[in-house]
Amino acid sequence: MHIGRRQFMAGLAGTAFIGSLGRLNAQSVSLSVPWMGWPEEQVRPLMAAFENESGVAIAEERLPIVELFKTLEVRLQARNETPDVYLVDGPLTASYAARGHLLDLGELMAGERDRFVPTTLVQGTYNDTLYAMPLGTSSQLLFYNKKLFAEAGLPEPSADPAARMTWEDLVPLARDLTRPDSSQFGFAFENINPYQLLAVPQSWGAEVIGPDGLTAAGYVDGEAMVEAMSWYQALFQTHKVGPVGTFQTGVTQEMFGSGKLAMMVGGTWNLVGLNKFQDLDFGVAPHPYFAKGKPVTPTGSWHVGINPRTAHMDEATAFVKWLSTRDAMDLWFELRQYPPALKQIWEERADTTFVDPAWAIVRHELAETATPRPATPGYREYEEFLRTAMQDIQTGADVRDTLARAAQNIDREMRKYR
Amino acid sequence: MISSRWTPYLFLAPALAGLLVFKLVPIAVAVGGSLTGMSLMGDLRFAGLENFEYLFTDPEFWSSLKITLLFNLIINPLQLAVAFALALLVFQPMPGLWFFRTLLVLPMAVSTGISAVLFGLFLDGNLGPLNGFLEWIGIGAQPFHRSQEQALATLIGIATWKGAGYWMLFLLAGLYSIPASVHEAARIDGASAWQRFRYVTLPMMRKPMAFVLVADTAINFLFFAPVYILTSGGPSGATSVLMFQAYRAAFTFSDIGRSLAISTILLAILVVIVVLEFRLLRAPEEERS
Amino acid sequence: MTASPHALMLRYGLLSVLAFIVVCPLAWLALASLRPQAEIFQPISEFGWNTFIPSVLTLDNYRTLWEGDFPLAVKNSTIVALTTVVFGVTVNALAGFAFAAFDFRGKNLLFLLVIASFMMPFEAIVLPLYVMIRAFGWTNSYQALIVPEIANGMVIFLFRQFFASIPRDFYEAARVDGASWLYIFVRIAAPLSWPTVATSSLMLFLAQWDSFFWPIVAASAPDYAVIQVAIARNINFEQNDWGGLFASTNLAILLGTIPFLLMQRFYVRSLISSGIK
Repeated sequence: MHIGRRQFMAGLAGTAFIGSLGRLNAQSVSLSVPWMGWPEEQVRPLMAAFENESGVAIAEERLPIVELFKTLEVRLQARNETPDVYLVDGPLTASYAARGHLLDLGELMAGERDRFVPTTLVQGTYNDTLYAMPLGTSSQLLFYNKKLFAEAGLPEPSADPAARMTWEDLVPLARDLTRPDSSQFGFAFENINPYQLLAVPQSWGAEVIGPDGLTAAGYVDGEAMVEAMSWYQALFQTHKVGPVGTFQTGVTQEMFGSGKLAMMVGGTWNLVGLNKFQDLDFGVAPHPYFAKGKPVTPTGSWHVGINPRTAHMDEATAFVKWLSTRDAMDLWFELRQYPPALKQIWEERADTTFVDPAWAIVRHELAETATPRPATPGYREYEEFLRTAMQDIQTGADVRDTLARAAQNIDREMRKYR
Repeated sequence: MISSRWTPYLFLAPALAGLLVFKLVPIAVAVGGSLTGMSLMGDLRFAGLENFEYLFTDPEFWSSLKITLLFNLIINPLQLAVAFALALLVFQPMPGLWFFRTLLVLPMAVSTGISAVLFGLFLDGNLGPLNGFLEWIGIGAQPFHRSQEQALATLIGIATWKGAGYWMLFLLAGLYSIPASVHEAARIDGASAWQRFRYVTLPMMRKPMAFVLVADTAINFLFFAPVYILTSGGPSGATSVLMFQAYRAAFTFSDIGRSLAISTILLAILVVIVVLEFRLLRAPEEERS
Repeated sequence: MTASPHALMLRYGLLSVLAFIVVCPLAWLALASLRPQAEIFQPISEFGWNTFIPSVLTLDNYRTLWEGDFPLAVKNSTIVALTTVVFGVTVNALAGFAFAAFDFRGKNLLFLLVIASFMMPFEAIVLPLYVMIRAFGWTNSYQALIVPEIANGMVIFLFRQFFASIPRDFYEAARVDGASWLYIFVRIAAPLSWPTVATSSLMLFLAQWDSFFWPIVAASAPDYAVIQVAIARNINFEQNDWGGLFASTNLAILLGTIPFLLMQRFYVRSLISSGIK
């Protein structure tokens, strides 16, 4: 028996050994900041600049996109003092705010609002209160492959927003650019995210959510939505100009990059992302619209918010305040080219960076056509069901039934916000 | 053996302490949580059986339950059979055996999530090499996880690709612990290869098989990442297993109570099924106890 | 056992076909990881030899990994996995042995709890577990990744199954000779179950090698990033780094298979075969 006890003691000693592996954290103040899993060289310099200026350490955590949201849910639902500051996807502002996970930034940003491009603030606002400070924004462009246009003997689309193409004109063009024998397709949207696709029904004239921000029935399955999404489905199923199964950016980008897709509506990040394809010569044109409707473009991007339960309130607010300065925003733009949220950056770089036609289009869209996603505390629910519906619609499911089911599901999950 | 009355507990103590703190207490909290509701602002209230009542009137729950049971009814016997066949194939020594064994177990070092991403590309309708191959030999591209008809089968295929080699190892270890003398004796008695397998190997493999079946059942009832990554429960709900519903309830709908209720139901179903599996694979001499 | 040449041919044939099916997706992945970024995918209409054989071989994707934070992730995963194996095998084998060799009060209930411990979705217990780890002050540390994974119901169950197939007479005989139970465990039971020790080591190793969600919740500071997290960082909403994803996945598979190669020699007939008559 005494051997048994000795074994037991050995076990205890082992446990104590593992316990001692722990890191002693004796630094001054360090802020816990969950961030996107962008490459380190696009993240660290921004944090380092603040550390140098303030003496406050930033422990940023670069998380892959899905895990960022998942991890934030676990941490926030634990309702304790971590994280201190976190990255907020624009449309989730309302969701976090409604659950008490975001600090009201009204006071902090008082008198600063005029410095921002207005639509960017809309995304960070819920119930007329600013909860998340925009770090940048986004827009969507029509990317086209110049070589494929030349091969087909077609004129390239105009980059002038005044001469914007209609969807009605795009379909025959896409048909001319489709070559089934070499699996070359004419046109596709970059992915099936509502962020990107809602511009289609919105341009058709559909309201995509009820005025209370909580009602899907009659909107998500409304007549205009059904018509617009039937048009979307026809691209893939009737005209067969779009490759079925292009659900995610990674795949669509590859197809466009390797010359198997002639036109793609995609985000501004493609301006950098497509560089990896050395043989690709692409041009950009404004986002198309329906002749009977108005031009609508998706917008919105990453914001930052403060956990109201943070134990380092002064440091956290100082960090967010610093991020909103011209210098921080300019550095951030250098690191990762999101369309800036500050008007000042647009003006300063107007004659250098933004002479590129793509940026001229983006600037126009942000001022004239950008339409933020619905501001609803239930955006996660809304997006989840709509995204699955979009997948099914692209694959050929009955549009009316699919949207009706999505609307029903959304409404059921929205009940808790009423 | 009075002196060793405490011995079993000492042997058990380190492991049970770990299980208690890091598994059983959280499970108890989770089961308790299934009886609560949380307001948006995080205020907890006792909700009794509300979450369960909600689920039982939700058609999505019932269809998920059906899909989960169907998925498991197919995949568990399938994986056990494939793993057993593989174990028998790599049991007897032969030149180059280590090479085949290694190839067969390679997928176990791929995490479930990454295996889903990998197959998403491998089976892609536009860029996937498998569809390229199927076109090339004239069968034509298949939609796989993109079609209502093939989606569940595709997931079963992916899980089996990853799992078969892994489960094979346990059965292989089992085969090796059957005394060679037993086989020799049967052979001397003139038993055919099939008879030796049926009356000697199979009965002696009860315990390893019970392990594989029970462990595999637990893993497959909780099978989730590929559903999330490849199909989001679709197309049109065809792969919406209970785990997916539980995940969505917690992480997308912020409805922890409902999510925990689904998890609790999963736990209950699993316990019942596992008890049945134990009975199924119990040796005849144990049946009296 | 003497097998006929036909039976041997059949075995080789079957194994080749099965191994081919298993390896195919991995071979494609491995070869794609050696291509330049722009050539990783081919449209399905262009299927042919070039789907598998790259025209240009490049180690660029691996070079990028080597220069980034991937080596750190490999180091972290290795530390975490090996520590878990050492403690896990010991602790769980002891418990498995207790269930197999002793009759004691509460045995069935305890065994049911062991089984139930691996039947709850991890997503359901992650929140209480995270709260607990925080209360211990373990967030962002190795012990947050290691300690909760040491006791493992499935591994206990595995040991119990294999120890139970050793006849109890074996132990009783040793008891009569005056051996302590620990001696019996270390000197008699354990040596008889090398294949099981090997398999359970692999189980524990792979559980840690493949783990992803818990490390991200409990220890997401850059210093503690594990291999699956490093892999997943290549997947992004805005653009995917396929080359990085393929190369890192490929390395994770190759490195994760090393323990199996080392353990393979334990997959032999154990002493028990000759020991029991």
